Amino acid sequence: MITNRPLSPHLSIHKKILTSVFSIFHRITGIGLSVGSVLIAIWVSLIALGPKFFFIFELLASSLIFKSILFLWTLGIFYHLFNGTRYLLWTYGLGMDLKTVYNSGYLILFLTLVATFFIWLI
Amino acid sequence: MKNNYTSKWVLQRITAIFLVPLTFWFVYQCVSFQEFQFQQMKSFFESYVNSFLFLSMMITMLVHAKLGCETIVIDYVNSLNLQKILKSLINITTILTLFLVVGAIFKLNIMQ
Repeated sequence: MITNRPLSPHLSIHKKILTSVFSIFHRITGIGLSVGSVLIAIWVSLIALGPKFFFIFELLASSLIFKSILFLWTLGIFYHLFNGTRYLLWTYGLGMDLKTVYNSGYLILFLTLVATFFIWLI
Repeated sequence: MKNNYTSKWVLQRITAIFLVPLTFWFVYQCVSFQEFQFQQMKSFFESYVNSFLFLSMMITMLVHAKLGCETIVIDYVNSLNLQKILKSLINITTILTLFLVVGAIFKLNIMQ
């Protein structure tokens, strides 16, 4: 068993270029959304348990902290969705030349911000 | 499937494809949830179509999250013992969450 193997993707060694930063943020948002999926499960359970339990959620939902977390969740989910779609296209070898990689990266940032603000403004 | 990394890699992509439309649907529904009272929320999940789409999204999301978190653990955690503990924690959390969601939808739809 190898116990002293190198770690990937060498966070402290890699130069922080757009592609590596996008990859790291994809993983960070992935962890956040995984925690979010557990919270969604708790939320639907509170609905199933009845109005007394759902009241707990309503109390929490009115707080500023909850709204801030929900805003970050919206940002995270759109970023992960758009960037994940790009990774799916890369799986088929599409859009992998350096210029397209950078342009699609900027497009993802733009789409994430537009979609998040659109959802929060409607 | 224990060490079949290719199957896990393919499954990660398949779940991602399904999650794209399902997540857009859920985020869109979340906008109207803000104004919903308890009864409206309950009615939303009493609809078989909504429950089916929500359950499909959650199951796919949990599988996707489990595979993704496992990959992160393998990539960043050096100690094999800690890897085993974290993987077990991920599995337990996934199974418990799955039971919670299925139980909730079952109660809202079947036992209403």
